[in-house]
Amino acid sequence: MSVLARSVGNAFRNKIRTAAIVAVLAVAIGLALAMLVANQAVAAKVQELNASVGTVLTVNPAGGQGFEGGGEPLTQEQAATAAAVPNVASVVGTKALRLGTETATTSGTNAGRTPPTGPGGGGPGGQSAAAATTSLQAAIDAGTLGNRNGAGGTGTNTGTTGTQTAPAFSLPITATGIGAEVDSTGKALTIIDGTGLGDYSATTGKALLGTTLAEKNGLTVGSTFTINSQAFTVAGTFDSGTAFGNNALYLSLADAQHLAALPGELSSMIVTVDSMENVESTKTALENALGTDKADVTQGQRNLETAASSLNSVKGISLIAFVAALATAGIIILLIMVMLVRERRREIGVLKAIGARNRTIGLQFVLEALVLVALGSTVGAAVASFASGGIASALISSNSATAAAATPRGAGMGGGFPGGAQGGPFSGTTQLLTSVSANASPPVIAAGIAAVFGVAIIGALVPALLTARIRPIEVLRGE
Amino acid sequence: MIVVKDLVRQFKSGDRTIKPVNRVSFGLERGTLASIVGKSGSGKSTLLSLLGALDKPTSGDVVVDGMSLAGLPDGKLTEYRRRDIGFVFQQFNLIPNLSAVDNVMLPIEFAGVRKVARRQRAGELLEQVQLSQDKHGRRVNRLSGGEQQRVAIARALANEPKLILADEPTGNLDEQTGEHIVELLKSLSRDHNTTILVVPHDRGLANKTDRRFRLQQGRLSEETVRGGVRETSLDSEGVPAQAGTAASVGGCAG
Ligand SMILES: Nc1ncnc2c1ncn2[C@@H]1O[C@H](COP(=O)(O)OP(=O)(O)OP(=O)(O)O)[C@@H](O)[C@H]1O
Ligand SMILES: [Mg+2]
Repeated sequence: MSVLARSVGNAFRNKIRTAAIVAVLAVAIGLALAMLVANQAVAAKVQELNASVGTVLTVNPAGGQGFEGGGEPLTQEQAATAAAVPNVASVVGTKALRLGTETATTSGTNAGRTPPTGPGGGGPGGQSAAAATTSLQAAIDAGTLGNRNGAGGTGTNTGTTGTQTAPAFSLPITATGIGAEVDSTGKALTIIDGTGLGDYSATTGKALLGTTLAEKNGLTVGSTFTINSQAFTVAGTFDSGTAFGNNALYLSLADAQHLAALPGELSSMIVTVDSMENVESTKTALENALGTDKADVTQGQRNLETAASSLNSVKGISLIAFVAALATAGIIILLIMVMLVRERRREIGVLKAIGARNRTIGLQFVLEALVLVALGSTVGAAVASFASGGIASALISSNSATAAAATPRGAGMGGGFPGGAQGGPFSGTTQLLTSVSANASPPVIAAGIAAVFGVAIIGALVPALLTARIRPIEVLRGE
Repeated sequence: MIVVKDLVRQFKSGDRTIKPVNRVSFGLERGTLASIVGKSGSGKSTLLSLLGALDKPTSGDVVVDGMSLAGLPDGKLTEYRRRDIGFVFQQFNLIPNLSAVDNVMLPIEFAGVRKVARRQRAGELLEQVQLSQDKHGRRVNRLSGGEQQRVAIARALANEPKLILADEPTGNLDEQTGEHIVELLKSLSRDHNTTILVVPHDRGLANKTDRRFRLQQGRLSEETVRGGVRETSLDSEGVPAQAGTAASVGGCAG
């Protein structure tokens, strides 16, 4: 019989009471762990949000974001003007193309066939993108919304083919000409396979395909496909993280401008500011330099800022809840151990009477508390791993409801991109919020349990030290 | 060699104070088997608890082999209880959820003896008090009163103490087992030079001891048998008796 064995034995002395204590501890510990997991998940998301959109401004043609259908397009000269604004680190021009798929019946004899020109680009994005045809098939089948959006665009097409009554319509593919290796939000592209396009300001005849798009069309690095009958080679594939984002391809800016037959014209500019603090002032400076009648400058951060701040409050709440639950666990241990020490006064007197040192008795009680906490943690961790996902999403949905509602419609990152290709103007924020996955990762759970044990030791120390004050003469007192 | 000097323990109950031990002095040579008798509530257990350093006296001192308990810090008193004292409590005071053998092993564990050795020693001690082998591993709250009493005696002997303080150690035993325990105590005092102070529950055990004390209203007196006549001499009652005790202490010191 060692001190430890005795502590374990004592912890199970009254089994029903032990079960009750463990249940109460498990609730407190489980809650603490779930809150920690939620906190970690949200913290990671906030960091990601800040890193991705923190310093990016998007410049679109004035009115281009509304339903009016856009004003004057942006030009290469305006990009130069923007680049000259102080604190601007880089300006990347983009040129968006909307690719319709050549229909199966015409693919054999595609000569002389007019590309479908949808009115106003179809989608609620408003700004029209130059249209073109491609040999590629979209990787995503259009939903109800997509079909409705696309109906106008393919109306002429249905008519010309005659025999084909209701062709299956798929979402248009977005081809974006980019002046640097970044996506339309200014984030560096994640190239999975192959290489980048090299010189983004020259015509290269090469393209970067989204993974799902490449897969759907059975293309790999080195394969070729056509846009407006012009052959392009797949230089690489990229992963944007979303299904919509991967149903897209990137060309060099010059290629895109060439395909659209609009050299020097830009759909939008992605302006990166040198630091977070300068974003606000640079936005004003850009508006002054370009003229608000010519260009709209939107802060990519704007809509996400609200999201990030709501996530930050979730982070704060979950941290407070974690500390509170942890403290509760500590207090439960404290009270239970005080109760046990009082209850075993006489027995502690016996141990002292037969020569036990104070520290032996104190250790025995601390170990007993730790046995109870270990049991509570085991049950609590199990509870947390089931509950933390639910708790995190409950916390986030209740907190982001207001934030999401406040996000202005139509101010999405997609800007001039036809509805759907970039996940819609509104879905950006929502998707970011709901994609916070609170998985109970072992290191976080382990850290949480370590904290629980730390608090338990502190909680148990007080009653353990109380045992030192019990005198051996207690043995002679009646029970 | 144990010397008790002018020991006083008083309790306050309500607004009056009682002194179950009131200026008690005596000396015991090593290896003496002594008994204390007295009416219920006369202070026998209180006196034993003072000798075993379970309690601190209101005044006076206990000196064990030249070491005065009055000046010792708590740590040293713990060591004294662990190493020098074997206490058999009137109410046994075993740890109820531990087995017989685990209870006996406790003081040996506190003394820092390795596990295998202490288990063996505990087994031997339980044999000595005639607890049958099949009951060694049984939880003590499933043992009879007499069995528990013998486990308590075995535990008191665990660290081979200099002084055994036994409060009615045969109270729950049948005559035969009681006899055996008395023989065990006698052999310890005779062969191992262990000093034993016992509170007997009947006259039979008291008569077998080397020295017999009586506690009455806080005062200790010793019965001496001279030529079959029982005499009682009060200690510390007047100068001659005190001088006599002091003399006998002095005489034994050599
Ligand atoms: N902590 C205490 N507070 C107040 N009074 C006490 C305390 N401990 C003992 N007493 C009193 O001191 C007296 C002596 O008690 P003690 O237990 O020493 O008697 P005893 O001789 O052992 O009796 P018994 O033969 O019944 O065991 C009793 O009157 C008891 O009530
Ligand atoms: Mg008593």
